Amino acid sequence: MIEFKQALINEIEKLYKKKKAAAAVVLSLIFIVFGQIFISLVRNNFGVQGVSSSEFPLLILSIIINILLPLFVALVTIDSFCGEFSQNTMKITLTRPITRLKLYSAKIASICIFIFSILVLSMIFSIISGLIFNSNSFNLSDIFKITISYIVTLFPMVILCLVIVLLANIFKNGIAVFFLSILVFIAFKSMEIFFPAYSGIFFTSMFGWYNLWIMDNIPLLKIFREFMMMLSYAIILYTAGYYIFDNKDF
Amino acid sequence: MENAIEIKNLCKTYKNGRGIDNINLDISSGDIFGFLGPNGAGKTTAMKIMTGLMKPDRGDVKILGHSILTEFEKAIYNVGCIIETAEAYPYLTAFENLRQFSRYYKDVDTGRIMEILDAVGLLKYKDEKPARFSLGMKQRLGIASSLLSKPRVVILDEPLNGMDVEGMINVRNIIKNLAENEGTTFFISSHLIHDIELTCKHVGILYNGRVINVDSTENILNSYASLENYFISEVERNDRI
Repeated sequence: MIEFKQALINEIEKLYKKKKAAAAVVLSLIFIVFGQIFISLVRNNFGVQGVSSSEFPLLILSIIINILLPLFVALVTIDSFCGEFSQNTMKITLTRPITRLKLYSAKIASICIFIFSILVLSMIFSIISGLIFNSNSFNLSDIFKITISYIVTLFPMVILCLVIVLLANIFKNGIAVFFLSILVFIAFKSMEIFFPAYSGIFFTSMFGWYNLWIMDNIPLLKIFREFMMMLSYAIILYTAGYYIFDNKDF
Repeated sequence: MENAIEIKNLCKTYKNGRGIDNINLDISSGDIFGFLGPNGAGKTTAMKIMTGLMKPDRGDVKILGHSILTEFEKAIYNVGCIIETAEAYPYLTAFENLRQFSRYYKDVDTGRIMEILDAVGLLKYKDEKPARFSLGMKQRLGIASSLLSKPRVVILDEPLNGMDVEGMINVRNIIKNLAENEGTTFFISSHLIHDIELTCKHVGILYNGRVINVDSTENILNSYASLENYFISEVERNDRI
């Protein structure tokens, strides 16, 4: 495990130094601030209610998980795999005393930490923003619901990351993987609409599973079923991606 | 003497039919082995398999008794290498690049990073990013990263690419000193045949994916005017066959 830990430290350092992660954080924060200003303007000028301070973080979450976060996850994942394939820098790690399984796992773990950091920062800033711009009061139950919503959103985002990792290992070209990821995303979203009876099995439908956690009567069985579905997706995608990565010649 | 590198029946064929075929080599500890061959002979393929970047169709490579296929971490722990080109992360400084590699080894600290940067003449550029380095400087950084962990086996593919004369002499002296004083084994491929002649104790010639001859540099130079003459004669002889 020492090798995995060292590889994880290295991957996080690379993420930090490449500044893509920092740019993602800044963009998320800008998005939150502009979102809040927009809502305040609508409320003040048109008399529309908008959202309360406790609803604002959930509104932000529903937007970032469908637009911003998938984009950031794609960029960072593609950079971590395709970027290193094309720059030929993957081989300098592969010739160090670490197995491909540990390196592959460390890369994915570093992206998961990145996703989690974005979610936590977005949550904190949207709560602060909600408190500053809306005078409505928060209570502990709201804070708990918001925290749970942001934390459980990590799971579907990890599945999205694993989809992109698989594509990045099949197609070495970063641009091709980026556009293919967008196409896959749109295709799955469309299938949800055209085949609503089967929407539960498409990974994009799980992006909103945080809604199950904040219901008044929590549907435990449904949460468990969705969790098992995501776990299955994770195992299949992780294994398939690793198989290709392990058999790749550099 | 104990074998540092053992290559047994190594085979790898690409889709275009080229590759390496049944390579067998035993390289003793402390040896400096030169690997010569024309372009496309399979030198880099063999070296990529030796460092785990590629999987062979058949055969195995043992480094200090550990198989690269089944005991990768143990086998590669004592290996430093440059394969094809000396690569570095362009967004990290020279020091940060070496610090990344140092994390995989127990005894490599900041002092060792500074020592190796000084040895290759890059200490004053330690806070600069390799993106701004010349080819020779990138190569020096590659040499530094391959020697950072004080490996017992060093595999170098075209280590002197793009280096100036001073750099070439410097690296040659580092290689000779490490082989003599530390017993480090070197496996070097280079198109600079004169440099192989000056540096290596043994030379193997690879042609069309097969090792056609292995001999000591001393024996070769007793029979031929230069290593270049020997290389041309061996290649022509095999061409006729």
